[in-house]
Amino acid sequence: MSRIKIIPLQFAGVEVLEQMLPLISARFKIETLVSTHRMDLTPFFNPVRSQYNANDIIQKMVPLVDEGDKIVGVTDLDLFIPVLSYIFGQAYLGGSVALVSGHRLVNARYGLADDPKLFSERLLKCIIHELGHAFGLKHCLLPGCVMVSTTYVEEMDQKSDQFCRSCKIQLK
Amino acid sequence: MDNNLSILIVDDELSVRDSLSNWFIEDGYSVDTAEDAKVALKKIEAFNFHIILVDIKLPGMDGLELNRRIKSINDEAVVIIMTAFASVDSAVQALKDGAYDYVCKPFDPDAITHIIRNASKTIHLSQENISLQDRIKSLVNVEDIIGESEGILKVLEQVRVVAGTDSTVIINGDSGTGKELIAKAIHMNSSRRFFPMVIVHCGAIAENLMESELFGHERGAFTGAQYARKGKFEMADGATLFLDEISTISMKMQIELLRVLEAKTFTRVGGNREFKSDFRVICATNRDLQAMVNAGEFREDLFYRLNVFSITIPPLRERTEDIKPLSEHFVKFYAEQMNKGTKHIGRRAAKALNNYDFPGNVRELENLIERAIVIGTGDTVQLKDLPLDHVAAKPTWESIQEMEYHHIQGILEKYDWNISRSAKALGVDRVTLYSKIKKYKIEKNK
Ligand SMILES: Nc1ncnc2c1ncn2[C@@H]1O[C@H](COP(=O)(O)OP(=O)(O)OP(=O)(O)O)[C@@H](O)[C@H]1O
Ligand SMILES: [Mg+2]
Ligand SMILES: [Zn+2]
Ligand SMILES: [Zn+2]
Repeated sequence: MSRIKIIPLQFAGVEVLEQMLPLISARFKIETLVSTHRMDLTPFFNPVRSQYNANDIIQKMVPLVDEGDKIVGVTDLDLFIPVLSYIFGQAYLGGSVALVSGHRLVNARYGLADDPKLFSERLLKCIIHELGHAFGLKHCLLPGCVMVSTTYVEEMDQKSDQFCRSCKIQLK
Repeated sequence: MDNNLSILIVDDELSVRDSLSNWFIEDGYSVDTAEDAKVALKKIEAFNFHIILVDIKLPGMDGLELNRRIKSINDEAVVIIMTAFASVDSAVQALKDGAYDYVCKPFDPDAITHIIRNASKTIHLSQENISLQDRIKSLVNVEDIIGESEGILKVLEQVRVVAGTDSTVIINGDSGTGKELIAKAIHMNSSRRFFPMVIVHCGAIAENLMESELFGHERGAFTGAQYARKGKFEMADGATLFLDEISTISMKMQIELLRVLEAKTFTRVGGNREFKSDFRVICATNRDLQAMVNAGEFREDLFYRLNVFSITIPPLRERTEDIKPLSEHFVKFYAEQMNKGTKHIGRRAAKALNNYDFPGNVRELENLIERAIVIGTGDTVQLKDLPLDHVAAKPTWESIQEMEYHHIQGILEKYDWNISRSAKALGVDRVTLYSKIKKYKIEKNK
């Protein structure tokens, strides 16, 4: 039976992830669990950019995947890929590994009042979005769908954590 | 979703090609790559790419020269130059040679997304040699808008007409009639569909936070902030700005909105950089704005700016023909969602729905059906699954006999055809009940 495993990698709020499990499981209709692995992320730190290389971390995660599973790393660290100045998350279309960062989802980093509930909603949307890619979905244009591409944090607040009908059909 | 546009990425660095390929594939483009100008030119001669991303620094022929060559092979291709900060001057030269735009490496994902969306919009518009308005013969890309009534068909016709323009739209309608759904339909059928629809809930913005919310603020405006905040106007550049519940907008915000609508520029709080934003406004309201203007509650100048095209969605009770298809649509949707197999609506339930006047309109209908699917068992949505008993009893009959017939039928339904309990409730014995059932030919209905 295939599963979704959420792996905290230098992420402070494991309880936040545990609370999300039923929601993620419901979206993909697959058993979802939190699974812990020790992984040293210091080799992926880029001192010039003060960020961590998402593509390299994903490569390192590949051996952690059991046949048929999808795994999502969740971290508080700020991520980049070589050509972009930051990313919220990364996955490959139809791939089995995804990575999501909570770093830029924190209100306080934008000079706004702290809001833990909003943070976990954003994180959930990121996780479902990247998993959507891993399950083969491309971006969607329909306002509100979780597969809408978002590159600024408050754009994320404009969408739901749900797939629109056409994405749902493609997911089957 | 595939968007039928192709991109060629020309860069000598493998990691750049890979990262960008993945990024654009997820965005629905078909992607090819080339590691130098020679390979690129071969591919460009063989295939008409819509968008070509060219690194300015390439081994052999550089990006500037490649850009000129591309123009002589396929002058419709949109060329976007990738450059390091140090060589912005040469990027400017590339623009003079006909490149569409340039981005500095590493790209801000927001910036590259914006450029690509703009390019996609330009390409789509140029592909349509007839005007967008003529092209939209039928509406696309919208989650099903259900309805057969004249009222809803008229609304859809207005959507079709206005989607092809950039004019401001006011959508009038009572709560739950589908104002947001119609706004999405306009957006998704306009050339702005590659950009988001940015929603502002006008009444929900606290007065003291309004400026930051609308205009954003610079990083320096707050101690400890690592990143600048973008306001809604900035987020809506290229996009559709949906002002929901515009009637609840404060006087102060009316003034700010009017100013930005006129100037199309603004500055972030705590900064003096001037930002331009090109957005299309769609408003929704459940109150009569003209009446508010007359009462001095809404600025007249703002109203005239907004009220260019107006769409009114009739309440559900004025288009009862839509109740049946809407109910069936929601039953199908929620039954599927909750894995309850196929379901249909029982006759009495359907009748009750039809007789109800739905003060909460389509949203209320949707909620009723969702709840009925949650609590209901079997393959039929029954009257008892809906909180509408009183509605079903609304008499449409006149004779005492008819009344007796309907009353007995209702009680039988209520007690699931348990004869003893129904008889008790009716205050008759079982034999009498049986004979009435026979007399009126009452049948257990599905
Ligand atoms: N014609 C329709 N076909 C299908 N679904 C509809 C239709 N009209 C409305 N709905 C559904 O009804 C619900 C309410 O619609 P929407 O949010 O667009 O209404 P609204 O007018 O904006 O409501 P409010 O005034 O409460 O903000 C949504 O789930 C929407 O999808
Ligand atoms: Mg609404
Ligand atoms: Zn994505
Ligand atoms: Zn979608």
